[in-house]
Amino acid sequence: MNQDSHSGNTPPDTDSSLAGQYVLGAMSEQERRDFEVELSKKPALQKAVNDWQEHFLAITDQLEEVPAPLTLASRVKRSVDALDTQPERAVKQSSTGFWSFWNSLALWRGFSAACLVLAVAVGLQSQHVQPTVADPAYIAVLVAPEDKKPGWVIQTNQANEMRLVPLGVIEIPEGKALQFWTKAEGWDTPVSLGLVKKGESISVAIDQLPPLTENQLFELTLEQETGSPTGLPTGPIKSIGRGVITM
Amino acid sequence: MTPTPFDYEDALNSCAAGNKRALMQLYEQESSRLLTVVMRILKNRALAEDVVHDAFIKIWKNAASYSVDLGSGRGWIYTLTRNLALNSLKYSHRQVLAEPEFLLDLCDSQTLESEHKPDDFSELAAESRTHSAIYGCIDHLEYERKLCILHAYVDGYTQDEIATLLDKPLGTVKSWIKRSLHALKECLQ
Repeated sequence: MNQDSHSGNTPPDTDSSLAGQYVLGAMSEQERRDFEVELSKKPALQKAVNDWQEHFLAITDQLEEVPAPLTLASRVKRSVDALDTQPERAVKQSSTGFWSFWNSLALWRGFSAACLVLAVAVGLQSQHVQPTVADPAYIAVLVAPEDKKPGWVIQTNQANEMRLVPLGVIEIPEGKALQFWTKAEGWDTPVSLGLVKKGESISVAIDQLPPLTENQLFELTLEQETGSPTGLPTGPIKSIGRGVITM
Repeated sequence: MTPTPFDYEDALNSCAAGNKRALMQLYEQESSRLLTVVMRILKNRALAEDVVHDAFIKIWKNAASYSVDLGSGRGWIYTLTRNLALNSLKYSHRQVLAEPEFLLDLCDSQTLESEHKPDDFSELAAESRTHSAIYGCIDHLEYERKLCILHAYVDGYTQDEIATLLDKPLGTVKSWIKRSLHALKECLQ
């Protein structure tokens, strides 16, 4: 059956063959990690990888092009500009500022989706949530950047409101408020949805918003009691997540 | 009037020197191609855009670690970007599909010649670069081995996924891929 693997004439794993397997993604998790350790030590191996990549690229160059939207260019530009004000070697500050999280945005998105079910389950057990989950059309779970702990749930209800509901006791320092922001694909900047005061949930009339979209970003940043002075997030992100349409 | 092809190595060196314009030129040059490749792997537009965004930030931060000794600058960029895409697959679900004709057309030299009618010099230059030896070499591989390579590279499927898709034992797929790489290497030299 499995003649190939028993016939004994499979070529040996030379460096070049491993480099090719790496480029193809044809490695197990462990093989990949081991190879990357080698890779970091051997420039010749890196060259083999990049040259294999260049060869194979000729194939994907034939795919019909998906044009990158203009908004993506401005996002990249803003993120790069933001790096100037947050030098790498600065004192370690976890997730300060609005733009720093963009650097791991893909992870956030993936994480939010993966944790949705768990987090919703947590939410339902919480006494703070009056579950209108019979047919929620839109839901998002916001998690803390540091430990990914679910902190808030956003859901829509029949009254055409979007509610932001805490999953536990939320501590807000004296003189501060949490400001609630959202940003959909294609928007240049986030839009404030209001301030959250201690012990309160918050409702936003949906008809005052553009339609909620899949993957729309929501976050809470810590701002002055009266809200961000600039109209854009300035304080550290306390909770972040993306919306999912659950029809 | 010879058109100068984009110099990826030079762009990376300029990025390493802190030249933001070079990064944005690289973005102009490559963002859509990168998005295309990442979209094909992730099959999710929003996630793909995030990955391309993250890739350019990483290119900017890591450009100093690239030097011409490390081979193709364009290869370096795609290695970095594809790794981000493959990593983010761990957190998202996608459909695994067999599309043999589509994949084989990507490297069928006859299709390529009839469909691509270069109408200016820069396209001609690009053609000569993209019409790389890989097409001819892949052509020599047997049908199913060719598919293994294409599913792995173009779709970013794991060997397990390919084995299921082709209904072959994992060991066979692994062995095919290794042999195919060996054959490609011989052929490309």
